[in-house]
Amino acid sequence: MSFVILAGLIAAAVRLAMSIALAAIGETVAQRSGVLNVGIEGIMLVGAFLGAYGAAMSGSPWAGLALAIAGGVALAALHGYFSITLRADQVVSGIALILLGLGLSSFLFRITLGREQTPIPAFQAVLFGQSAPVYIGIGLAIAVAFVLKRTALGLQIRACGENPDAAAAAGVRVGAVRYGCVLFGGAMAGFAGAYLSLAQVGAFVENMVVGRGFIAIACVVFGRWHPVKALAVALCFGLAEAAQIRLQSFYPQVPYQFFVMLPYLIAVVALAIYARNADLPRALGRA
Amino acid sequence: MRFLIIAVAFVVPTIFVVLAGKDPLGSWAALLGYTLGSWNGFSEVLVAAIPLTLIGLGLSIAFRAGIFNIGADGQLIAGAVLAAALAPLLAPAGPLPFLLAGFVGGALLGALVGWLRARFAANEIIVTIMLNYVAFQLLAWVIRGPLQEPTRLFPRSSVIPENLHLAVLIADTRVHSGLVWAALAAVALWIVFSRTAFGYRLEVVGASRGAAVYAGIKEARVVVGAMPLSGGFAGLAGAVEVAGIHQRLEDGFAEGFGLIGIAVALMARLNPLAVPFAALLFAVFQVGSGALQRELAVPYPIVWIFAGTIVLAVLALQCRLSSSRA
Repeated sequence: MSFVILAGLIAAAVRLAMSIALAAIGETVAQRSGVLNVGIEGIMLVGAFLGAYGAAMSGSPWAGLALAIAGGVALAALHGYFSITLRADQVVSGIALILLGLGLSSFLFRITLGREQTPIPAFQAVLFGQSAPVYIGIGLAIAVAFVLKRTALGLQIRACGENPDAAAAAGVRVGAVRYGCVLFGGAMAGFAGAYLSLAQVGAFVENMVVGRGFIAIACVVFGRWHPVKALAVALCFGLAEAAQIRLQSFYPQVPYQFFVMLPYLIAVVALAIYARNADLPRALGRA
Repeated sequence: MRFLIIAVAFVVPTIFVVLAGKDPLGSWAALLGYTLGSWNGFSEVLVAAIPLTLIGLGLSIAFRAGIFNIGADGQLIAGAVLAAALAPLLAPAGPLPFLLAGFVGGALLGALVGWLRARFAANEIIVTIMLNYVAFQLLAWVIRGPLQEPTRLFPRSSVIPENLHLAVLIADTRVHSGLVWAALAAVALWIVFSRTAFGYRLEVVGASRGAAVYAGIKEARVVVGAMPLSGGFAGLAGAVEVAGIHQRLEDGFAEGFGLIGIAVALMARLNPLAVPFAALLFAVFQVGSGALQRELAVPYPIVWIFAGTIVLAVLALQCRLSSSRA
């Protein structure tokens, strides 16, 4: 009996963790190259909308996913233009993405899907009760870890994040590498948003990301800029989320809002414990 | 080039109006006609500019020190909740202690962020956003729990005692005395920034950590001092909204003000005397987006598209300026 409950809890944790994990994998790569994108919350919102819209129009969740990734890349290109080409403040550019993402997703939703009820074909479970994007995400975490650690490209990416001047002197095209990493991060944030609307919830709801983009950034920090560790940290948040939903029904006398607060409070405490560390890319945030 | 950037900032939201199948020129006419062309609309712009000014001022304190406080929404709620909770005790004393309680509520949450950053080097962007979500839940709880009105019909608090309401400044409008407080706060903060050692330390820490260390300025102490002040202004804005407009706590009573406040502070380039004018500009778009929704059924979230494009336009203009100076 307790095994069934535990298995159910873990399955729910994985399902709730993946949107955070996907965004965290992309943000890890962007930050490793030295570019901070605090706007992935906004990109995830746009991805969630475009995923639902594309799936509803085409009848296939995969087409929705492709549209969401394209939208994520487009918004990330905007961030790249400001933070890499113009060398503007990366945090301010990211804040603009949060605002734009909030506006674009809600506005476009209200003039399309929000007007007429279109059925949205969602991702179905394929293995152990999880949908295909979950396995793609796990595969991507491992692949990205391999590329970062074992390939020449990974070395170039890390060099851009640690010491861009030395990298440039060694013949690395710092701007191009950083653009590539930022676009990859945007694609993953778009993927993460589409996962939320197409695999986790099965619908688009305005402002449905509710801070997951920022929890993803926290995962990058706790995961010490390592994609597989970031995935593991995201799983812990998924577990906290799955547990708080169950605790609500176990303790109906405690106001449910306190349980909803839990993952956010855990993020604050964990951040305080893990913030000081030597793995931070040295040139992060400096164009 | 500068003209081009400004033009793009106007064109982008217009594209979305067209996408929504609405008349672009008619929309601009409705937006500007209501907010600037009607006394009713303009008075609402003044009303909306009050909290945006206070939040923008608070954020300019943190941003000057290089601390990205994204938590004004949470600090605003903390201030409003503390003030509303103490309202029965403060009733005999009048609105001033009520506003002070709001300041203290926001300052406490800000102090927590400052302490986490100074003591543990915790990234304030993530911490403040996480605390926003905690504060949203706190508000949702108090108006359904300890502070809910006695009839328990709606998720909202009782009306605060009459004695605490802010006076209406202009008859037949909602413009209240918070307008005066916001203007005074802007001048006071300008004096702090330009005439005090604390303002100078903020500037140095924000401009260059290395220079601050060399000058013997303790960064941690400046951060711990700046964050409560920054949060306090947001908390004050929360208390002002409660005492001046809503007279009670309710769901989403100041939703998204903190995010627009960021745009206000950035547009004003962290200059306190410019903040009220930036707040007025964003208030035009905020109130104008409401008018667009009512009159032409243009979805209200266009307000965030306005805000996002303006932030990017300001950023682009700054880049042009700094590159032409160099």
